[in-house]
Amino acid sequence: MSAVLRVPSLLGVGFVWLYRLTFGALFPTTCKYHPSCSEYAVQAVRRHGLVRGSVLAGWRLLRCNPWSRGGFDPVR
Amino acid sequence: MMLFTIPILSQLETVMKHVLIWFHTSLHLPWAWAIVATTVVVRMLLVPLTVKQIHSMQNLQRYAPQMKELQKKYKHDRQKQNEELMKFYRENNINPAASCLPMLLQLPVFIALYYTLRSFESNFHVGPNADLSFLHFVPDISAHTTSFWGGYVLLFVYVASQMASSYFMMTTADKTQRILFMVMPLFFVFIIAHFPAGLVLYWVTTNLWTVGQGLITRRLVAKTPAPAPERRSSRTSPKPETAAAIQGDGAQPRQEKPVAAQKPRQVRRKKKRTSRR
Repeated sequence: MSAVLRVPSLLGVGFVWLYRLTFGALFPTTCKYHPSCSEYAVQAVRRHGLVRGSVLAGWRLLRCNPWSRGGFDPVR
Repeated sequence: MMLFTIPILSQLETVMKHVLIWFHTSLHLPWAWAIVATTVVVRMLLVPLTVKQIHSMQNLQRYAPQMKELQKKYKHDRQKQNEELMKFYRENNINPAASCLPMLLQLPVFIALYYTLRSFESNFHVGPNADLSFLHFVPDISAHTTSFWGGYVLLFVYVASQMASSYFMMTTADKTQRILFMVMPLFFVFIIAHFPAGLVLYWVTTNLWTVGQGLITRRLVAKTPAPAPERRSSRTSPKPETAAAIQGDGAQPRQEKPVAAQKPRQVRRKKKRTSRR
């Protein structure tokens, strides 16, 4: 049962890896946060599930703009 | 996830299609130049983001020696190194230059262009005699880049422009990462060769824009803080950080004034002598 419940979050993690191997590699950027946005997304989805994790990751991406301060920002 | 993304992709494709058609019919631009124009518009919209990014990047260079020391100190523990670096940013009120959002905003454009060009003929109802060329060396922007000799020229320009743009937008002080970013385009050429030539054209345009923007902002912003810390780093590295920072401010004008004053005098004297003789 738990394995079935983990499928959506695994999909989310897979999606991040797909990004990392394609666009992440083609458009090299370094993130101003630690952990980086994609790492944050993986951790958020693993901890909070696909829906809440995706929202958290999306909010983090919006925060990762030139006006923000950046810094150490782990998933809570 | 896929169910969500597919409708978005087709919508992106329609938007891109209409933008390209508008450039082609209203401004009478050839298709290839419509792509260039679209790229320029996208980059113009992103200017406020990138300018801010470049400014904080130049600000960051002032702290390069201290950051290098931190990296040396935590050489073997990348996790710790990152955390300490972030702490250093916070303590010195630094805004790290890199951020994910500007890059991510360009992704939809790139994807839309890819899909639009993939089925170019059916998307734009262009006949077999339509002019899809670019500057005489690319005969067809919807064809694979390597299907004609001009494509190799385009790929060469891509590599050069990509290297130049990553040189200007380099946001890390980490040497290995810097080298990696510079070498990367050499490997990506093999992937990009399978893309339609129009997409490579987009890439080249956006890279050249980055280079131009980098050159202009470097000229507009006072040049003094950028090169000075590099000289200081080798001389004052054993001294404490605060002392180095104070010294740097004093050393800056000293180093530059003689250089600025000497050069024109020498030239003037030479000119006067030659004119008299």
